[in-house]
Amino acid sequence: MKNYDLITPEGTNDILFKECVVRRNVEKTISEEFKARGYSEIITPELEFFDVFNLNSRHFPQEDLYKLVDRKGRLLVLRPESTMPIARVVATRLKEATLPLRLCYNQCAYNISPLMRGRSDQIVQAGIELIGSSSKMADLEVIETAAAVLEKCNTGDYSLEIGDIGFFKELMNQLNVSDDMKETIRNFIETKNYPALNDILDSIGDNNVTKALKMLPRLFGEEEVFEKAAQLFSDEKTDAILGKLKELYKEVKQLNCKGKVTVDLGIVNRTDYYTGVILKGYIAGYGEPVLSGGRYDKLIAEFGYDVPATGFAVNVDAVTKVKMKNEKITTDSTEAIVYAVKGYEMKAILLAKQMREDGKIVETAAFDELEKVKAYAKELKISKIIVVDDNVTEL
Amino acid sequence: MSKPLRIALTKGRLEKDTVGLLESLGFDCTAVREKGRKLILSIPDANLEVVLAKAADVITYVDRGVCDMGVVGKDTIMEMPGKFFEIVNLGFGKCKFALAAKKGTDFYEGFGVKTIATKYPNVARTFFESKGMDVEIVKIEGSVELAPLLDLSDGIVDIVETGTTLKENGLEVIEDIAPIAARLIVNTVSLKMRQKEIESLIEKIESKI
Repeated sequence: MKNYDLITPEGTNDILFKECVVRRNVEKTISEEFKARGYSEIITPELEFFDVFNLNSRHFPQEDLYKLVDRKGRLLVLRPESTMPIARVVATRLKEATLPLRLCYNQCAYNISPLMRGRSDQIVQAGIELIGSSSKMADLEVIETAAAVLEKCNTGDYSLEIGDIGFFKELMNQLNVSDDMKETIRNFIETKNYPALNDILDSIGDNNVTKALKMLPRLFGEEEVFEKAAQLFSDEKTDAILGKLKELYKEVKQLNCKGKVTVDLGIVNRTDYYTGVILKGYIAGYGEPVLSGGRYDKLIAEFGYDVPATGFAVNVDAVTKVKMKNEKITTDSTEAIVYAVKGYEMKAILLAKQMREDGKIVETAAFDELEKVKAYAKELKISKIIVVDDNVTEL
Repeated sequence: MSKPLRIALTKGRLEKDTVGLLESLGFDCTAVREKGRKLILSIPDANLEVVLAKAADVITYVDRGVCDMGVVGKDTIMEMPGKFFEIVNLGFGKCKFALAAKKGTDFYEGFGVKTIATKYPNVARTFFESKGMDVEIVKIEGSVELAPLLDLSDGIVDIVETGTTLKENGLEVIEDIAPIAARLIVNTVSLKMRQKEIESLIEKIESKI
């Protein structure tokens, strides 16, 4: 039998020393931003019933989920994301709580990713959910928080992108084709597959809706996007959506963040439970979005509690990787090592304890011979050796 | 000048066609033409850095964002999909995916499960799934035409260009699966972070197709 006792499963890895320090710092930076805005942390289990992730508005392909079976034979999964478990908590234990609820989390998400692309199956996500408000202020708060997080993570160039799924949904409503065809069109817009999108829309016919859909994936960039979109298509509903988004965009610009603020009307992910404003964050040096979120007003209703909500999640591991590459990282190291001559062990331990209370990082020497302590201290660049016998001598 | 945009080209014919296209836009591609054994080359006046790679690796590099753009056949994209934007149909490298079988046989006849030999198991699986057909797929690395001749499979799913190889080996196309041509793909973050540069290059390319 082959033994796998020396390696970790595909898509997972051990994190050592400096990388731990960086990751914990990133987590701390982000959670401080959340807590300063009144968000309270919640922790949901790593294991959930499969049913939590199998809703009408959001369905996870079963091949992407890590699955287990509980003792009664029921299907469990390692949570692939945190918003749906939080929606479950809100619809149950927090049903009577005063709204709006401001919840934040910092926990792992598990997804089976395509093999051999060098992606992790286990990533840490930090995020917020603002539940119980459909006001513009709630949208702004979430976007402002996202901008603050990207800024504070301090990874160099970044860009924050906003959109509104409503524009796309409205256009699709007016398109008279089968659901399969709609899904194909959605997929071509999502992948910005201009040639295939043109072909399929040409086959449907030439009207205002198909014209607008053809251009939709190209509608990203800065303020000029709104003008282009308005020229393409205009009716009461889409005008209202664009007007709202434009106002939001202008306000977000007033945050004066260091990064770019952009718009993309062509973000239309399949797994989206989003119903309104959506946002994504990008940082230089990482090949996929590190932040993503938006408004999801219908999701919690699927758990039996009809409340609007919005939020986002940051990929903490991605930020950590970029910081590891970009920055020279210094970690706290041992300042002194205390060596006890035989019979003076407790005296050494008490001395070390006293020094630590003064704020020093102090190790006790786990060697019998002083020579070994010296060699060890030299190797680890510990500047101070303290020998404890009847006296206390600093070497 | 800003950091060059990195573009991965599929080695071989697509690379030559892309270089031809870039030269027709007026860029000096001498370094790429006289590359020797180098794998990373630069086209300074286009502010491009060219990376030469196998087709599947072009997708991996663009998907992971170590290259901003890539030129790769639709065949490879269909076999190993990833997260990237598939922006331009470059028009060259044209061929098609097709299902072929021995000439004169009725492929769909009978109730038995068919065996399909292919270098593209995902493409074959997706095609038969869309027909609601359960097939057994055998992955072959070399000349797939051999499999039905040796009676290993009932048919093959493969790239067909002119059909000559099929004909010479007594096979014929049963059904076309999808047309293929080279695509310009773009990393999802690069398109946003370096929108102006990438869009201006795409506009130039589109004007030549």
